[in-house]
Amino acid sequence: MFEAHFTRLYRYLDRLSGDPELASDIAQEAFVRLFRRGSMPDTPQAWLVSVAMNLFRNARSSRSRRGRLLTAARSEGVLSDPAPSPDHFAASEESSRRVRAAIDRLAERERRLLLLRAEGYSYRDIATALDLKEASVGTLLARARAAFRECYEDTDAP
Amino acid sequence: MHLDPEEIERLRHGELPPAAEHRVRSHLADCAECRKQTADSAADEAQIFALLRHLDHPLPRVDAATLAGRAQRAEPLWGRLAAGVFLFFGVAGAAYALPGSPVRGWVQTTVEWIQGAERSVVRPAQVPERDAGVAGVAATPGKAFVIHFELPDSAGAARVSLTEGEEVTVRAPSGAATFTSGAERLLVSNAGSGATFEIGIPRDAPRVEIRVAGGRIFLKDGTRIVSDQPAENQHYVLPLLEP
Repeated sequence: MFEAHFTRLYRYLDRLSGDPELASDIAQEAFVRLFRRGSMPDTPQAWLVSVAMNLFRNARSSRSRRGRLLTAARSEGVLSDPAPSPDHFAASEESSRRVRAAIDRLAERERRLLLLRAEGYSYRDIATALDLKEASVGTLLARARAAFRECYEDTDAP
Repeated sequence: MHLDPEEIERLRHGELPPAAEHRVRSHLADCAECRKQTADSAADEAQIFALLRHLDHPLPRVDAATLAGRAQRAEPLWGRLAAGVFLFFGVAGAAYALPGSPVRGWVQTTVEWIQGAERSVVRPAQVPERDAGVAGVAATPGKAFVIHFELPDSAGAARVSLTEGEEVTVRAPSGAATFTSGAERLLVSNAGSGATFEIGIPRDAPRVEIRVAGGRIFLKDGTRIVSDQPAENQHYVLPLLEP
């Protein structure tokens, strides 16, 4: 149970920030706060996301420069683990760059919507965490996908 | 009438209530255009989610027990402060509830002080004592002063007289009561003393009340006196009973 929830929160934050260390720190801190809370919130998933987003906002400005440096270093380490070929390494690197560029060009709300849904968060959790009307989450998701597609295709192909 | 994007998305994500899902699926069975839109939407989403995996980094090794331990060890400063405040008010509440506790008087005084009301002047040392075994307080009354005996006392009494002075005075045998003064209020903690309290009220005081456990037993309002007890030699002797 914990692993599933932690994994999806970490993945969301990792994709959102591009900084795995920051994502890990924030996801852990969000769970620490949940433990300290002593009782389960009505919508635990949305609660965790909301807490994590507040922590992320606070940390982003102070750690932004360090985040970029760590991301670059970690990216090499991850890809070197299965000992990829130089061509594969270059292709993966390029794919990551294009996806990152497309994600970063999205509006804040579209980016979060898309990344939350990609981790399987329910419409209710998404609406709660992003302060949206639950009845319009599906429509907004469709728009976010279209916006991502447009941004991705606009970025330079290899 | 074709399906709207919300219905298509909700169908694919399992977010439609059963009745709506049945209706949408019935429509899809008969509408090739909506079936195509639904399939395209699913394929588009799958492709985008696959692209997003390019952003992933390895999962950190974290377990619930470690985080729970951190939560217990590193309780934040505000948490400790909150715990301290709760503990303080818990102890204070228990002390407040104890019969005869002086905490009630302290609380009342504090509340009145916070409210910024004009404080009465309390000068116990200036009360002229008729003999060594008498203690008391004096307070300058404002527009409406209340002498409040905390508890009824069937053996006790208040002997009230009007004076030419400027201060309300209350005297009692030493050890019979404790006095706590606040703005326009004098609390007499008299539990079980059986004593007779000598009370002097200035004739010029606009309004002075004497209460026992919240009930009024005497009122001086201007020149008007309201009391169940008749005046005897310019004194009113009032049993300390709750009216």
